[in-house]
Amino acid sequence: MSNASLSAPGRGNALYWAIQAKRNIGVRSLFLVVLAFMVAYGFLFHGLFTGTGFAKFTQSWFPLALVAMAQAILMLTGGISLAIGALVSLGAVIAATTMTGPLGVAGGAAVVGIVGLGIGAATGLIVVKLRLPAIVVTLAGSFIIAGAALLVLPRPGGAMPDWLSNLLAGNTPAAFAVLVVIVLLWKLYLATPLGLSLYAAGENPVGAYRSGVPVDAARIAAYAISGLLCTGAGLFVAAQTGSGDPIIGTSFTLNSIAAAVLGGIGFLGGQGTMRGALAGSLLLSLMISVMFFLGFTPVAQYVAQGLIIIGAVAIPQFRMRAR
Amino acid sequence: MKKSSLFASASMLGLGLLMSVAGVSQADAAANCIKGDRKAPYTLGWANIYSVPTWMKQTQGTIEAEVEQLKKEGLVDKLVVTDAQGDANVQIQQIQSMIDADVDAIILIAGSSTAPARVLADACAKGIAIINFDSLVDTNDVTAKVNTDSNQWGEQATKFMIDALGGKGKIIILNGPAGVSVSDDRRAGGDALLKANPDIQILAETNTAYNVAPAQEAVTSLLFANPEIDGILSFGGALSAGAVLALDKQGREQVPITGENARQFLELWKEKGLKSWATMQPNWLGAFAAYTAVQALEGKDVPAFVKIPLPVIDNSNIDEYLARAKDFPADGYIYSPYDRELFAKLLAQK
Repeated sequence: MSNASLSAPGRGNALYWAIQAKRNIGVRSLFLVVLAFMVAYGFLFHGLFTGTGFAKFTQSWFPLALVAMAQAILMLTGGISLAIGALVSLGAVIAATTMTGPLGVAGGAAVVGIVGLGIGAATGLIVVKLRLPAIVVTLAGSFIIAGAALLVLPRPGGAMPDWLSNLLAGNTPAAFAVLVVIVLLWKLYLATPLGLSLYAAGENPVGAYRSGVPVDAARIAAYAISGLLCTGAGLFVAAQTGSGDPIIGTSFTLNSIAAAVLGGIGFLGGQGTMRGALAGSLLLSLMISVMFFLGFTPVAQYVAQGLIIIGAVAIPQFRMRAR
Repeated sequence: MKKSSLFASASMLGLGLLMSVAGVSQADAAANCIKGDRKAPYTLGWANIYSVPTWMKQTQGTIEAEVEQLKKEGLVDKLVVTDAQGDANVQIQQIQSMIDADVDAIILIAGSSTAPARVLADACAKGIAIINFDSLVDTNDVTAKVNTDSNQWGEQATKFMIDALGGKGKIIILNGPAGVSVSDDRRAGGDALLKANPDIQILAETNTAYNVAPAQEAVTSLLFANPEIDGILSFGGALSAGAVLALDKQGREQVPITGENARQFLELWKEKGLKSWATMQPNWLGAFAAYTAVQALEGKDVPAFVKIPLPVIDNSNIDEYLARAKDFPADGYIYSPYDRELFAKLLAQK
């Protein structure tokens, strides 16, 4: 599905929407499952429709949505990262140790951003320029980054300014608004030359290169953006919890891959959409709350989670084959 | 996870003060977080961090048994259980769900000492009783924290070892995983005594997971390197079982050893006729937390921290423990007996 270049508006609205609809085919059943879960959740927990209820729910989802995007960008270019969780932890501990210090919130946020972009870009350079497998580089990188997080903050601690915690993770849906902005920025990025190259670089790197697409630059940029999203998620987790914990991000690595795959992103690059990855992360987050309200025992939750994930991935596959 | 930086504790305290200033009014007699507007029968939420290990299953068993009892007394009508599968973020979301479902009490083993602080502050502000045990949080926005003292664990074990060797001898020390607070604290608890007794020579120390196989492997290689070992100072029950098995396989004579109430270790202790000492993190901390939550909701004053004295197993009472062994899983822990009388006494201590 390397038709991202066509999705830029301007060639006529009809064509734009027709293409968008076509790109949704693979994830339509996922959207239905997510919708069903949303309805079930709203039915079980009426507080969801109050400002606070919606705010708290989107806050639970927000960091997972960010890391799902971070993983999806890489998988679209044919890459992958096993360092997502470690980067989230690093972002969290940097935020929790700088923001109440002399650097202040702006300075702390800048450090978090620069570290994310820098580590991401460095990973990208190593993977692309040295032609090393991304899975090996990011696995090794995850140990280094996890170690760095433990050096910054050996034990859980640190602090976040109260007003920032209350702003991002208080009773207003600010986190949801930030997510909307990030998604709009992603749409804008896809319209830039580097963004346009993203799908091409993932689906057919050799062909794209021969057509003059800046394949290497697109892939390195993807790693840098991915790193930024991860440390940004870490900053949010620090604000949400009011402190830093050097191992808080660990589970995000696997969850980001689960969300992306659930969202129809292929491991081979160039396949899938960001909206799919976001829906995948939303489903993972919704499942936890819905199963709580349904009163599932933990053991039943393990089983149900597995069945839902297999179902959401397998059904579209079967339907494709049946076609 | 208990020893976080002073800075964090101070800021948490600050947050706690701020919350109470912000209008969390409470009567003087009632316990923290309790507003008195919740009536029996109560709904209890048990926010577990990880349900798979045997210790956790047994702990949940004591909670369920206590809740059954409380149900009969008409004090509780429902227990909801969550399992965060080791993920501190998921645990926060599940505690949020418990608040959304308006449970009356939350009992909690925390996945992170700092991360749940804000969600617990929300719960506390809603008058939900929060009893935190085993892995504790730094925040004071809970009704009560319940735990044994890991430092004391290490100190008592070390004291037994020094006495058993008459203050002179060569020992090896078996620790749990490095960087885990329980493991660090137990080791640190024994440090002063070891320094004060220079005739106790430490040949080697190991760090392994709290499992039999890795401990057995580590001790086996230490046995090859050290022909003379007078005692084994072990800071974990499964580690002790591994050490005893290693000595046995090598045909070496058993030496004085410390340990925990793991059933396998206690059975080896009896079988090999060891001179030993053991303590435990009692599984009934869970039952006690459920009981304490209901007491707090009923308006009873509950101390902010309940320190559970470490039960001791030695050659004088090991038979009492082994007599009950068949009631416990083969890879489980034989915990000391408990009843309401003990719970009342623990709550009454100041």
